[in-house]
Amino acid sequence: MIRVIVKRLLVGLLVMWGAASLIFLIVRVAPGDPATILLGPDADPEQIAELTARLGLDQPKLTQYAHYLADVARFDFGESYRLGRPAMSEVLERLPATAELMLSSTAIAVVFGVTLGLLAGARPGRLVDRVVSASTIALQSFPTFWVGIMLILVFALWLGVLPSADAGTPAHLVLPAVTLALPFTATVARLTRTSVAETMREPYIQTARSKGLTEPQVLIGHALRNSLIPVVTIVGLHMGGLMGGAVIVENVFAWPGLGSLVVDAVASRDYEVVQAATFLIAGIVMLFNLVADLLYSRLDPRIKLDTVS
Amino acid sequence: MFRALRSRALTAMIILAPVALAGCTDATTGNGSGSGSGEITVAGTYPIESLDPHGPQGGGTGTQLAARELFSRLVRPKADGTLEGDLATEWKPDATATQWTFTLREGVTFSDGKAVTGADVVASFKRLIDNKGTNAANFPGYTMTATSDSEVVLKATKPDAAVPGKLATFYVVPASVATTDAAFFQKPVGSGPFTVEKFTPSQTLTLVPNKNYYAGAPKVTRVTIRKMPELAARLTALRTGEADVIWGIPDDQLGQLQSDSNLTVETVPSTAVFTMWFNSSTPALRDAAVRRALWQAVDFQTIIKQLYPQTGGLSDAPVSPITLGYVAQQPVTYDPDAAKAALTAAGFDFSKKLRLQFANAEFRQFNQAVVSDLAKIGVQIDLLEKEQAVFTKDLLALNWDINFQQLSNPTFDAANTLGRLYPCAAKRNGYCNPQLDQLLSAAGSSPDQAERVKLYGQASQIIWQDAVGMFPMAVKYAYAWNKRLEGFTPDPNGLPDFSTAQVRSS
Repeated sequence: MIRVIVKRLLVGLLVMWGAASLIFLIVRVAPGDPATILLGPDADPEQIAELTARLGLDQPKLTQYAHYLADVARFDFGESYRLGRPAMSEVLERLPATAELMLSSTAIAVVFGVTLGLLAGARPGRLVDRVVSASTIALQSFPTFWVGIMLILVFALWLGVLPSADAGTPAHLVLPAVTLALPFTATVARLTRTSVAETMREPYIQTARSKGLTEPQVLIGHALRNSLIPVVTIVGLHMGGLMGGAVIVENVFAWPGLGSLVVDAVASRDYEVVQAATFLIAGIVMLFNLVADLLYSRLDPRIKLDTVS
Repeated sequence: MFRALRSRALTAMIILAPVALAGCTDATTGNGSGSGSGEITVAGTYPIESLDPHGPQGGGTGTQLAARELFSRLVRPKADGTLEGDLATEWKPDATATQWTFTLREGVTFSDGKAVTGADVVASFKRLIDNKGTNAANFPGYTMTATSDSEVVLKATKPDAAVPGKLATFYVVPASVATTDAAFFQKPVGSGPFTVEKFTPSQTLTLVPNKNYYAGAPKVTRVTIRKMPELAARLTALRTGEADVIWGIPDDQLGQLQSDSNLTVETVPSTAVFTMWFNSSTPALRDAAVRRALWQAVDFQTIIKQLYPQTGGLSDAPVSPITLGYVAQQPVTYDPDAAKAALTAAGFDFSKKLRLQFANAEFRQFNQAVVSDLAKIGVQIDLLEKEQAVFTKDLLALNWDINFQQLSNPTFDAANTLGRLYPCAAKRNGYCNPQLDQLLSAAGSSPDQAERVKLYGQASQIIWQDAVGMFPMAVKYAYAWNKRLEGFTPDPNGLPDFSTAQVRSS
């Protein structure tokens, strides 16, 4: 197993180089430049040229790329033009808030999604299945932005039981985490439902029943574990999607996380912060995928780790 | 197997328990305050990314808002646009308005207890110039010297009557601060009413009173300026009491706030004017008759009435009524038939599309309405909503035919708008008129204020009649605040001062 992990990590290094290079290219191809944004529309061309030179952005792109790669190798992403602080420090400072949001929403999505999927998949076509299927379609259809606003109106404004924005206490986490979790819960529920419904038709389930096990014992003891493999896959793959959702949720709830930092950085062409954040996010997604692969072999010993992915 | 499942279920419950529990506890109640007694929470529209008023972002709204709480200026504008002394008790120009002498207030100290001297003022001015930020462009080649601890002299390279107004964005920091000193501005020392308790760039700025403030420490115990980019979140936070003050509220939300008995809602005239320049270097727009006809084809009065019933008014000058240099012009009457006839007579090519660019979704409806009116007489417009970065780049490159901007003026002096943006050398809108240049130059250099207003009036008339742009709307800023706040004064530039506010005990 160690050999496989080391191999995957080495491949990961290549992926990280690719991600770092791609984002370097993308931010520089995007129209607009940091000096113009920093100085605003009142600036004159001389001021813009002066600041561009001060930021080192007047150098040829290849020279900039070479310096950038050398810095990345030392895990140095430079200083944010806007914030006047090291870009990676800024990103790492915001990471815990986003991690808290993503882990909470993942936990909510997995617990509720798997439960709902299990209930629906156990008796396909029955009332519970229809209700769960219809609800999950609805949950997936609502835009995250709209859901967030609605939750704020109901729980913060009308009922007055939860704060509408900011962070700091567990109460502040509830609305953003639920907003982020809802579409993901629907995905997990639908996947679990399909998986459980298929598993329940397997011969070994009939064997379990013929042994005299009760339906809950069959469901939880035999069907659930095998049904979880696709769920683990989707949780691993969904981390990137959750990050995208976090950007919206953090803006709606003024959550001081990585998402809002990246949005601001992109809007103001803060290359250093965009590069640092993207590099880190790419690394995290890669690690989650590795963990998901490791979990496969734990859930189903027939799956060999070196054949995964 | 079941043991393992139970263990996992337990783990899941442990993870979710705080979230579920949080739903039942620690909730914020409506109509209270998110802040403690004597504390103010401000839900800000824009991020405060830097506290350095001399840096590249020194002209930015967030930095300006913070700077006026942390640092003193030589002079500062009052809510009506007139200037009052801050560090300076008096100021006077020489006969040519080339040399300005400022007498400094005695007994002013920084928050660390050290005296503010002429040397600090001079060093700050040099720092502003050396950093080459946008505010530095107001003082090309200007120098400042201290003639004593209590007097400084600013020498301009040419007569400049607008110096006091321009200094409204010049803040004084200790002389020891280096040209680039990010660490200092994380928790700066200043002579303004507040000091920094905590600053998280782009998120939160927490201020506490400066006990050494020369005019007396503010009565509030803490001011937290928190970035809340989402309008719905800001409005809700205000109504639940999590925020005490918000501003920049669109008209369609004002009614709801006005009906809340816990809130005070006020709109104040601002220095901002909706400005829609024509690119006079575009062949189709070179003829002033064409530009005037296009202006005539848009029913701005109706658009403003529909979209900005409380925060807009039909503009009658290129600058707002609270700006020095404002002189009302003859309103442009909406007449689409006359407009179409004038365009036809001028040989306007109706088959070609004009590019109208703007940034910021809040202006989308307004611009769509303009496009719709122009379409009624057959003028085709390509409406381009651009990201700020792209908008600014294209704006400076004149890569547009009509440009929409909300132009505000932190100096309250027409020199900062008319004098800066309309001379030929500015190359901002493709318009060049030597006669206008002469008037603007004379208005900027005359030490006689009445003469300056007269000259800016003549300059405005040229800009208006030649339709350098359309100037549809004078903007009012809408503020809403919790009634427990007393002494809060809305600011015409969206940069309120919290030093005079206090929290009423319940």
